[in-house]
Amino acid sequence: LYSQEIESLLKSKKIKIGDKVLVTKGKLEHAGIIMPRIEMGDISSFVIKLSNGYNIGIKHDRDTNIRRLETAWRLSQKKNPDVKKLVFDKALPSISIIGTGGTIASKIDYRSGGVYASFSAEDIANQIPQLKTVANIKAEQIMEIMSEDMSPEIWIEIAHKVAKEIESGFDGIVITHGTDTLHYTAAALSFMLRDLPVPVALVGAQRSSDRGSGDAVLNVFCAANFAANSSIAEVCTVMHAGMDDNFCYAIRGTKSRKLHTSRRDAFQPVNDTPLARIDSEGGIEILNTNYRLRGDKKVKVDDKLETKVALIKIYPGMDPSIIDYYIEKGYKGLVIEATGLGHIPTLNEKYSLLPKFEKAMHLGIPVVITSQCIHGRVHPTIYHNLRKLFTRGVIFAEDMLSEVAYIKLMFALAKFKDMHQIKEFMLTNIAGEITERTLSKDFVVK
Amino acid sequence: MTQKLDYKKLRLKGGLEIHQQLDTSRKLFCNCSTGMKEKTPIFTTQRKLHPVQSELGLTDAAAQFEYLRDRVFHYQAFSNETCLVELDEEPIHPLNSEALQIALQIALLLNCEIPNEIHIMRKNLIDGSAISGFQRTAIVGLNGHISYKGHRILITQVTLEEDAAAIVAEENGRVTYRLNRLGVPLVEIDTGILEGYSPQELQEIAYHIGIMARSTGKTKHGIGSIRQDVNISIRNGPRTEVKGVQELGLLSKIVEFEVQRQMKEKPKEETRAANLDGTTRFLRPLPGANRMYPETDIVPIIITKEHVENLKKNLPEPWTNKLERFKTKLRLPDGLAREILGSEYLNLFEKIVSTKKVEPTVVASTFTSIIKDLVRREKVEIDRISEHRLVEIFDYLQDKKIVKESVPEIVKYLATYPQNGVGDALKELDLNPLTIADVREIAKEIVSQPNMAFEKAYGIVMSKVRGKIDAQEVMKIVKSVMK
Repeated sequence: LYSQEIESLLKSKKIKIGDKVLVTKGKLEHAGIIMPRIEMGDISSFVIKLSNGYNIGIKHDRDTNIRRLETAWRLSQKKNPDVKKLVFDKALPSISIIGTGGTIASKIDYRSGGVYASFSAEDIANQIPQLKTVANIKAEQIMEIMSEDMSPEIWIEIAHKVAKEIESGFDGIVITHGTDTLHYTAAALSFMLRDLPVPVALVGAQRSSDRGSGDAVLNVFCAANFAANSSIAEVCTVMHAGMDDNFCYAIRGTKSRKLHTSRRDAFQPVNDTPLARIDSEGGIEILNTNYRLRGDKKVKVDDKLETKVALIKIYPGMDPSIIDYYIEKGYKGLVIEATGLGHIPTLNEKYSLLPKFEKAMHLGIPVVITSQCIHGRVHPTIYHNLRKLFTRGVIFAEDMLSEVAYIKLMFALAKFKDMHQIKEFMLTNIAGEITERTLSKDFVVK
Repeated sequence: MTQKLDYKKLRLKGGLEIHQQLDTSRKLFCNCSTGMKEKTPIFTTQRKLHPVQSELGLTDAAAQFEYLRDRVFHYQAFSNETCLVELDEEPIHPLNSEALQIALQIALLLNCEIPNEIHIMRKNLIDGSAISGFQRTAIVGLNGHISYKGHRILITQVTLEEDAAAIVAEENGRVTYRLNRLGVPLVEIDTGILEGYSPQELQEIAYHIGIMARSTGKTKHGIGSIRQDVNISIRNGPRTEVKGVQELGLLSKIVEFEVQRQMKEKPKEETRAANLDGTTRFLRPLPGANRMYPETDIVPIIITKEHVENLKKNLPEPWTNKLERFKTKLRLPDGLAREILGSEYLNLFEKIVSTKKVEPTVVASTFTSIIKDLVRREKVEIDRISEHRLVEIFDYLQDKKIVKESVPEIVKYLATYPQNGVGDALKELDLNPLTIADVREIAKEIVSQPNMAFEKAYGIVMSKVRGKIDAQEVMKIVKSVMK
């Protein structure tokens, strides 16, 4: 990633990244290791690691000379170590840890300055030594996907892998995942994994795991403990409950949402009580008894999805013709993230969305209303202009999260063509996505 | 209890690391205040640290795990002085450019070469003082030097880093830190190996380096704002590093004690902490160099030639020069010159001596001893007095409308009635100066009383005229009256 000029200079002098070199500039000399150039900065500067570990950049110009001294190290290309199983104690439950991207364990190469992801059971156990007190582990990385690059196709792939691991006898499953869209995957798996007999924990980290303060250690320990030892056979996110490194929440996969860009307690339940609190010392406390118990049923994967569904946010000044675009493009369903209790612009002709929604429904495209308030329930009949829509079949999705309604509508459309059946399915609680009672304590503003 | 040792014969080698906090308005990587004024935490958060490679000089993560297993770190957060960045809950913001400018100035004052590109590194720390598990640090200068007694003292590097959190308490594995110091910009200046110097000379060198940093006028004052680490070895033996010498005056004593300890015990390569009495205690084995890796959350900073040239053109006067000037031109004794250099009133002092005809020693000691004593002993709230009121005192001194003995009373008055001036103080406190003739009259009356020896007479006269005439003058008058 150096400039062409530097690259060809290094080549002509037979200098490779990782060689110890002497850079002279006028009267000044710097001996050190030539480092890989990271993306940003001045690509016509050499990056030199001095003997005390510091890096500096030295601009390559007419006064600069570089000479090779010796080989210090070579960039290692090694990745994805073998699948490994670790049995600490036969009496312990066994879990399968499935990697989809991001890192739990990582190694810093202090010579190159690189941070290398590692997914061997051994490295994970080394980094989280407490694991051996709660479960025997198998670890396998099945893909390397950044959270923001996840897609319905990948959810399906993960779901099948989980089912396979459950069938081969594991007592619980942990899925490591990037955090940005972790709650989408959690919701998708909640709908896909039918008759789930064991806990499935989705876990991520808000800090990179090369640092001593990383949150992955507590998160993965709690997720593993939850998967191995809890009685909750549901898909849950398991991450920090607060800013302290002392316990995590297991939150139902359809009720969990990333509510902060960077805090370690970014995942919080919305319109639901966390199912359990998992302590850093290993305790599991049930906080919400409304959950599915472990069982012996065989897990089934419902992997039929209609992906032509759009999630559209309402905002003042929105051009209604946006809806035409989706209709023209052949979208089969729309989730509308409306304002407040489920409102959309109706009175001003220029901005009213009513005609567009009527058009969509007339064409058999269901319109599902959720709220951008995130917390709370939508209500179909408070606002009289919407009553008309309601009677025509717009689906007010109770207290479902917009992201969850979006995924659920994909399932609904894959199963049913009839608008009434779609509506009935959307308003039937399938995986804990609709609660009957909203409790005052379930709105947590930190 | 130090004995005289021949340090040359012992082949004493010292290496200095001077840490100086910068007085920027905001922290190095976030917009929190660097004030460190808050006393009461608004909340505390608890964290664990996990083993990472190569810290403690241990490559074995198991040993680190043993060390960290039962440790829980508690971090106190303070209003205005802590945000999500110090809590390790938000990525760092771009490097504070004000801090970078000051650090580059310091590097240039120390005749350093400036790297073309500054790379921020993460230095792993597992004592909990960096909540993230590492301290961010970057080289801003290399291969500098200062001269000391005609010798060239090598400055190997100058780094700009974030100060660590300050420890509050530690018991039974529960360690508490204050987060308000974390992230305050700190410049570290490292010397090469200093051989052939006595402990006293090492202390002097540390002092000279320290005042070079302070030359920028943008450094913090007070306890903990400058800290020295010193590396010590004798006879090519193992090196120990003594950390956290907060009082410069202790440095030579610490070196002396450490040399004696190394002569008695079999020294090991280790890091030791300075005690208040100059002795040291074991802290941890020496950390290896291999604990650094790049900070990837922000990009390297390019420093152009023009930028460096521009900084060079506008460098402040080095305080080593200023110290010489105070001693020669202003005739301040060495101790007083150093005290005023270290005083927060330095700028005001310079302004007054350049505009008023008042003895510089009087001006300097007003700030370094009179005001300091009033604040310390009598809890005078000096901050209530505005700068122009302080200047007014010297106007009155210049015009001989008051004598210097009255200054403490006036300062106290001004702190109590900040809206009033020096003139009001004179009226209220009856401090208008007395003439020699006035005092002579008073002295005559006292001396005429029976059994009046000189000391007694002088004492009584002084009690009547204190603050209204120079004490030396009173002594002369009483003597002449008694003759």
